[in-house]
Amino acid sequence: MHRQSTGYLFVLPALLVLGLLIAYPVAYTGLLSVTDNQGNYVGVENFARILGARATPTAFVNTLWWVFGSIVFQVILGVLAAILLNQNFRGRAIVRSVTLIPWVVPGIVAATTWAWMLHTEFGIINYMLTAPGIVPEPVGWLTNGSTVLPVMIAINIWKMFPFVAIMVLAGLQSIPNDLYEAARIDGASFWEEVWYVMLPQVRPVIIAVTLLLVIWALNHITIIYAITRGGPANRTLITPIQIFRTAFESVQFNQAAALSVMFFAVAIVVVFVYIRTLASNAGEAR
Amino acid sequence: MSTVVSAPAQLKRTGLPMPLIIIGSLLLVFVCLFPFWWMGLSSIKTLRELYTIPPIWWPTMPTLDNYQKVLFESNIPRYFLNSVVVSVGSTVLALILAIFASYGFARFNFRGKPILQSFVLVGQLLPTAAIIVPLFITLRVLGLVNTYWGLILVYMILTLPLSVWMLTSYFKAIPVELEEAAIIDGASRIGVLFRITLPLSVPGLVSVLVYAFVTTWNEFIFALCFATDSSVKTLPIGLAEFSTEFNTDWGAVMAASMVMTLPIAILFLSMQRLFVGGMTAGATKG
Repeated sequence: MHRQSTGYLFVLPALLVLGLLIAYPVAYTGLLSVTDNQGNYVGVENFARILGARATPTAFVNTLWWVFGSIVFQVILGVLAAILLNQNFRGRAIVRSVTLIPWVVPGIVAATTWAWMLHTEFGIINYMLTAPGIVPEPVGWLTNGSTVLPVMIAINIWKMFPFVAIMVLAGLQSIPNDLYEAARIDGASFWEEVWYVMLPQVRPVIIAVTLLLVIWALNHITIIYAITRGGPANRTLITPIQIFRTAFESVQFNQAAALSVMFFAVAIVVVFVYIRTLASNAGEAR
Repeated sequence: MSTVVSAPAQLKRTGLPMPLIIIGSLLLVFVCLFPFWWMGLSSIKTLRELYTIPPIWWPTMPTLDNYQKVLFESNIPRYFLNSVVVSVGSTVLALILAIFASYGFARFNFRGKPILQSFVLVGQLLPTAAIIVPLFITLRVLGLVNTYWGLILVYMILTLPLSVWMLTSYFKAIPVELEEAAIIDGASRIGVLFRITLPLSVPGLVSVLVYAFVTTWNEFIFALCFATDSSVKTLPIGLAEFSTEFNTDWGAVMAASMVMTLPIAILFLSMQRLFVGGMTAGATKG
């Protein structure tokens, strides 16, 4: 019994801080979502209003594109980079360090630098594409409604694929050598090794990282917010940015809370799947 | 079994063909570094050279005017100081709380431990956009909007859960026998923690420190909401408003980006081995 209470004492301060900063605001969001400005109970009115807003379905569809577009390419590029970085070659350590840089730099720096590179008139990217004639005339990457979301997704891919690479690389390094030797005795080529040895072995890592990426894609809104704030004409508006703008630009705290509750419910499902998957993976491994 | 002995001679070491490795590495390095190369070049160009078509690859008369503007004629130095105070404050506070909590989770069994641990993990995965509104109201009630303490406290949401998670797995890997021996010799729990466990966990502590510092240094959305006064604004906010303040003077924006990236790049590259080791260990052991 003595041991028990000492354990509580150790974890208590951290839990108090997290309780104040997470549990209380979450509960308070629920309360805000069913009340009006004066705190009177209004039922589902806030939900009905925000769901009726024209921007809401747009933001929902954009969010799906943003999350899936980002993740598919982050995982593919990350795994390819990890396989490359797992090879033996001179200068590997340097290439490994360099690969991590996009992930470490501040999101806002990535946003401003890419915004400058994508500048319609003076941007280096338009120059690189027009000079050899790949595109006939400069593209307004950030002002054109059909290019702006893909461009945001591309920047996000650039920013986060190093994380996938480093995690998968760690997984590749922990594959026992026997497996490679067995494959080689069977005469496997390199690509057969990738397909039958490496990918199955790092599958749990890829699953864990993918779920983490889903959550981060919902969380990291810096790139979009800093470059376009959801514009032009809501073409890059995703739900977290809509929450933010509803609360702080339109000052509709209660509607923002209603949207938060729905957003939160979806996120909780993702988190739940994540924890379940992690638990079953740990079970398989042991 | 003689075939096994001669196996290394017969079995060709499979791997990517050298040309592919070289092309892949060059491509990877180019994609990861080019934006920073362009950022650095743009930061030492004169206004005329910035706005030239076709773009100039190497400035004919490199200038430090942009840096002078950023360092002496703007609020950036003040924001830099604010960023240092907030990042160091929240990193240290998170580390202290995480040390105790992780030790409690790693060394004690108490009722509700799995639930409390899940709560900590969920905190890490929570969509920040969903709790911005109630957090803002909470901070306003506490009188902490536009104060260092407000930001330091709020950043615990970002740093504390993962710190606890990483340190717990680190502490678990240290043999309990070492601590039991010390306790038999009459040491207190706290004495054991500080004299035996912590000195053995230095790599884990460093990776937690670097992680927490980088995260808080880069954070944008919370700072945007909770620090609106220039006496507490952090660098990311300064950079974002720089682009409008000077009607997007891209040379100055790029110089400010350099100023903001440099500390992170130095910190990260010097600690890289420890940091990546800690991250991947935490992720694969769960």
